[in-house]
Amino acid sequence: MEERQYDLIFICRPDTPEPDVDKLIATIEHAATEKGGKIESVNKWGRRRMAYRVHKLREGYYVYMVVKSSHGEVVKELERRLKVSDPVIKYLTVRLDEELKRQEKLKRHRERRAARRPRKTAPAPAQTPTGGGEHAAAQA
Amino acid sequence: MPDEQAPAQAPPAPAAPAGGGHGHSGPGPGGPGGGRPQGGRPGGPAKRGKRSFVRKKKVCRFCVDKADFIDYKKAEILAPFIQERGKILPRRMTGTCARHQRWLTVAIKRAQNIALLPFAAEL
Repeated sequence: MEERQYDLIFICRPDTPEPDVDKLIATIEHAATEKGGKIESVNKWGRRRMAYRVHKLREGYYVYMVVKSSHGEVVKELERRLKVSDPVIKYLTVRLDEELKRQEKLKRHRERRAARRPRKTAPAPAQTPTGGGEHAAAQA
Repeated sequence: MPDEQAPAQAPPAPAAPAGGGHGHSGPGPGGPGGGRPQGGRPGGPAKRGKRSFVRKKKVCRFCVDKADFIDYKKAEILAPFIQERGKILPRRMTGTCARHQRWLTVAIKRAQNIALLPFAAEL
């Protein structure tokens, strides 16, 4: 099966000490590799104001990571772990590989179209006359 | 409005607010063209005020940027497309094209789930 890509974001309590967050990230990474997944990148966004209150908290410590795996078991396990870990107040996993694939496709499509008709777009009448008009105005 | 001026001047006047007006006037009458923008420019804003009753064509912001993907993590991009109260703005308000609106709603809903955007305004 082809590889799937997920975005995993979780929010810790804002009063969680930094080492605890790092420990949590380490355990998650460990759990992912154990299940045959892979953590592509980890990005700590840090403390951030949340758009609404969660557990009566207005701020949260955001951690964003990209997970790759070939089956959904990894996500299941990671979500289970996030659910039971105390400092985590919210988490979200989004499968993104299909959207990224679509993005790639659209990009390629546009590039191909741009390559196919460079002549039509290049000598467009819009640009040169604009300069001329401004020149005339400046002279007057 | 444009009818008040010389007929040759008519094309630049309505196009002036768009900024491309001079492009059209330029290649035509070269000599008098110099004087006309001067007449048209001070008049421009006033005309724009009156013409604002004419509905301006709204353009999809994501099409302008050639966006192939709307990132739900960038709340500041999504924020202009929700109301104060947190509702998603309809297409007819923002001018977003159908395809991008579809992506946009998904992105906004994801952002809401991870508290980057509000579901509803608090209090």
